[in-house]
Amino acid sequence: MERFLDVAIAGLLLGGLYALIAMGMSLQYGVARVFNIAHGEFIMLGAMTTWTLYTVFNISPLVAVVICGPLAFVLGFIIHRTMFRKLQSLSANQGVFESNSMLASFGLMFVIQNIAFLAWGPEIRTYNYLMETVSIGGALFGARRLVTLGFAIAIGVIFYIFLARTRIGKAIRAAGQDPSTAGLMGVNINWVLALCFGLGAAMAGIAGVLISMSYPDSANMGQEYLTVAIIVVVLGGLGSIPGSFIGGFLLGIIGSIVSFYEPGLNMAAYYAIFVILLLVRPRGIMGR
Amino acid sequence: MEDLMVIINLLALVYLGWFVDWTLKQNKSKIWLFSGLALIMLAILSTLPNYGPTYSYIMMSGILMYLILTVSWTLFSGPTGYISLAPAAFFGVGIYTSAILGKDFPVLVVVIFGGLLSVVLAAIVGALTLRLKGIYFIVFTFGLVLLISSVLLWYEIRFTGTRGRFITTANNDLIYYVMLGITVLMFITSYFLKRSKYGLALQSIGQNEEAAAHMGINVTAVKIAVFSISAIFMGMAGAIMAMKWIYLDPYSAFDPFRSFLPVLMAIFGGMKQFYGPVLGAVILAFLEEKLLTEFPYYYKLSFGIVLILVIIYLPDGLVGLGQKVRAWFSRGKIALT
Amino acid sequence: MWSRIRKNVLPLCFCLLIVITILATFIGCKEEVTTTAPPVTATVTQTVAPPATTTAKPAPKDKIVVGMSRSFSGPIAIIDDSAFRPVYETWVKEVNAAGGIFVAEYGKKLPIELKTYDDKSDPATMAQLTEKLILQDKVDFLWGGGGTSFIYAQAPIANKYNYILITMEGGATTLQEMLPSLPYVFVTLPFSTWYEMPVLADMLASKGVKSAYIIYISDLHGVEYNGAAGIEFGKKGIQILGSKAVPPDIKDLSPVIKEAKASGADAFCAFAYPDQVFPAVGMSIELDYNPKVWLGGPGINFGFFHTGFGPMVEGVMGWAGWNRKSSAALNTLADKLYKDKPEDAQDWWGQAYYWAGLDMWKAAIEKAGTLDNKKVRDILATERFQTVLGETWFDKGLLNKETHAGEVGQWINGVYEVVGPFDKATAEWVYPKPAWPK
Repeated sequence: MERFLDVAIAGLLLGGLYALIAMGMSLQYGVARVFNIAHGEFIMLGAMTTWTLYTVFNISPLVAVVICGPLAFVLGFIIHRTMFRKLQSLSANQGVFESNSMLASFGLMFVIQNIAFLAWGPEIRTYNYLMETVSIGGALFGARRLVTLGFAIAIGVIFYIFLARTRIGKAIRAAGQDPSTAGLMGVNINWVLALCFGLGAAMAGIAGVLISMSYPDSANMGQEYLTVAIIVVVLGGLGSIPGSFIGGFLLGIIGSIVSFYEPGLNMAAYYAIFVILLLVRPRGIMGR
Repeated sequence: MEDLMVIINLLALVYLGWFVDWTLKQNKSKIWLFSGLALIMLAILSTLPNYGPTYSYIMMSGILMYLILTVSWTLFSGPTGYISLAPAAFFGVGIYTSAILGKDFPVLVVVIFGGLLSVVLAAIVGALTLRLKGIYFIVFTFGLVLLISSVLLWYEIRFTGTRGRFITTANNDLIYYVMLGITVLMFITSYFLKRSKYGLALQSIGQNEEAAAHMGINVTAVKIAVFSISAIFMGMAGAIMAMKWIYLDPYSAFDPFRSFLPVLMAIFGGMKQFYGPVLGAVILAFLEEKLLTEFPYYYKLSFGIVLILVIIYLPDGLVGLGQKVRAWFSRGKIALT
Repeated sequence: MWSRIRKNVLPLCFCLLIVITILATFIGCKEEVTTTAPPVTATVTQTVAPPATTTAKPAPKDKIVVGMSRSFSGPIAIIDDSAFRPVYETWVKEVNAAGGIFVAEYGKKLPIELKTYDDKSDPATMAQLTEKLILQDKVDFLWGGGGTSFIYAQAPIANKYNYILITMEGGATTLQEMLPSLPYVFVTLPFSTWYEMPVLADMLASKGVKSAYIIYISDLHGVEYNGAAGIEFGKKGIQILGSKAVPPDIKDLSPVIKEAKASGADAFCAFAYPDQVFPAVGMSIELDYNPKVWLGGPGINFGFFHTGFGPMVEGVMGWAGWNRKSSAALNTLADKLYKDKPEDAQDWWGQAYYWAGLDMWKAAIEKAGTLDNKKVRDILATERFQTVLGETWFDKGLLNKETHAGEVGQWINGVYEVVGPFDKATAEWVYPKPAWPK
């Protein structure tokens, strides 16, 4: 029973992180229609910036959340207003835009990765923060991981309220469902799309901050988290934000169970779930 | 010296690509001149090991690898618009065929086996997934490469106790000949495919799949058939190139980068004409080696910038650019006269 | 307003990026030009001077060109950056400052010029670039690429063209078995059965360690070390309670660490790379898993392990090759390599061995008096040399184990000490490992 609790809680802790990563990507695809392959690089930027802030300026990672989030937002906003906006105006239809923007984000990934490499070098970076152990019903966990989980859930909930209750949230949902009609209803559609892309980037940045608290970081880390994000996004249903939230936790728990029995199959299990899901139910668990 | 030889041979390849386009034209003039030139180009290519320094044909084999991946990728993805990120999977299957069979069978048998196994994989994948559209298909093929490599890794560790495999090597000139042979075979296949009704069917699928189905085209069968044909060349190339690399493990055999590069090269060259991807592959593969050796720290940066610029400013690639320039000049001429 | 910005920003950004790239490459080129300038002028004078006398002698040379294909980018770049690169950069600078290597054939000292390519962490690219170095650039010598699987791909190529290959980061039992068929390949780095694992097993047995739990990366490296541990631990009666393979990109190690904790093994071994060893350390701290022995693979030995984990490193063990206190020569070497540099750059496993390998290579060239790879190889394979490690030679292609300044290390008071074998230890092994500091 204790082992079961162990595995389940470990899965939840990991899942919180996955959920946060995937929600950002889901938002970018669901509304802005950009399947952002560079998502992992925003995570990397968040993590590496936090490391720099912590080791050089001694700024706590919890404060870094407030710095990296807005920074990533601005970066994402500008990228959308320039690159993807331009692409959208050039693409004949939504389908063409989707493939083109995905390829362009591949390019973006290489550019950001290379610049980060030049800036930080290839070394693996870690720092000690909140290394205390917490016991839940006999099962032991790191305090920093609980903080991560708390943040992931808080951000998920805040974001949900933002989407459900505020005016901008309604505009975003409208733009996600039908951009042209939303435009007719007086929503400044380009602004909303850029906002969504920026918010997605901000979530990636914050996820990066949280990841850097518990895991080592390097300029190469982006791709690993990108694959996880893609899997969760597909699992939850492309573009569905609640789906990504739940999907993240689901994948975390599955990963934890597989690691418990056969750690060698950990990544293989992720990909297998992903591939099978695409075949059986491409719309994901919450897909429209 | 090596670079010069390689460039000459690359030009010959581009000419052959253009020649395929030309033969597909309705009214041909100067048949003898162009066909004769094509034969000369073929002769230049096939005798390279006789007059070129060793490294020139080693480098050519490397470039031909990208050429094969790109052109065979375009064979299916160009007209239909389905962006497949599976080339690395087919290529990797070829590599592992070579690793497993290389010791006991002659080179050609291994190569053909590599191609056939890739076809089997492609047919299965095609049958399962070609009903997926747009982003789903892209993501699926991407995941497939990762799935195969991680399952293979687990299998190798668990059951064979090794991670990587040694591959029986072949001579550099033999590898080059085989690569060239695959290329020529691929050119001929594309020519017949484009001329056949399947080529047209493929085109109409790309334009409007439902309409194509209503017109009586067996959409699924055509898609699977062409997808499989395109995989055969990738598998064969993988099987022969593995013999050059001596030691490989699942992660480097199924390197997802080999899926992205063909896409970029095809888009860079332009997919409207057959020689577009040839041009794109040849230029970028040549540049890749130059970048890696001259400016190693900026390789990915320049790669990314080119990708973004091409997608935004050259949606029809180099070929499209060439046509635009030509149109612009001829407009000037008309205005003058 | 937006539309105007939108119209202009993107092209401007790209222009800026391109300008920066071009500027950067220009600056890079300029540096290269300035460093290579003196030899160029030297060529001119030499080619003018000796035409009458060089009838029997080989064509005049003014430098020794050494080619390398290294991983400057991609996941292996971390190995390149922290292991061999600081060594070759310092070593070449030192040798060139003294005028270079004396080659009797040319009757003078020849400076070394490096020709380095980036293989983007891909063994296939590395194979092709190696052939480029040999066939197109016709370099005089090759130095090894980074990582064991790279050596596997590179060794047969170098051997085929009769080029000496002194390998750096990597070594493996299976490679050892191949060496008789690869007379041109020389391995410098100590590895599992040479002679780390036997030493570790002895150490553990001497303290009465009864059981061990192993995790290993599903890679050649991990498989080898796991296999070697199975044999050597078995000989000493140490029971292996579990051995789990983990894929390189695994995210959460907590289930494995918890299982290790539940097994109650005396020793915990993580035969993996920094990518997995670091999270394993972090997770052990988090879960308060404190076995009597916590030993990790490559990663523990680097300075950036200490800068990253700070006081948490106390008592953590890993592979070690040398220490400042091992000998006066090694202390001097540490000064050369690490003085005025951040601690991140330190590597207490391989760097002394790479340095020794280069020293032997230089001595062999000087003894042979020629740049002919075959003659130099014969000397490398048979002679003994004085290096930073003492009297050193290649024992069937491997750097002799008698000269190893250590095999197993442990972080004690913020210093990575050699703790095994006991006769080479620079500090007494702290057993059992102290608790993780709070």
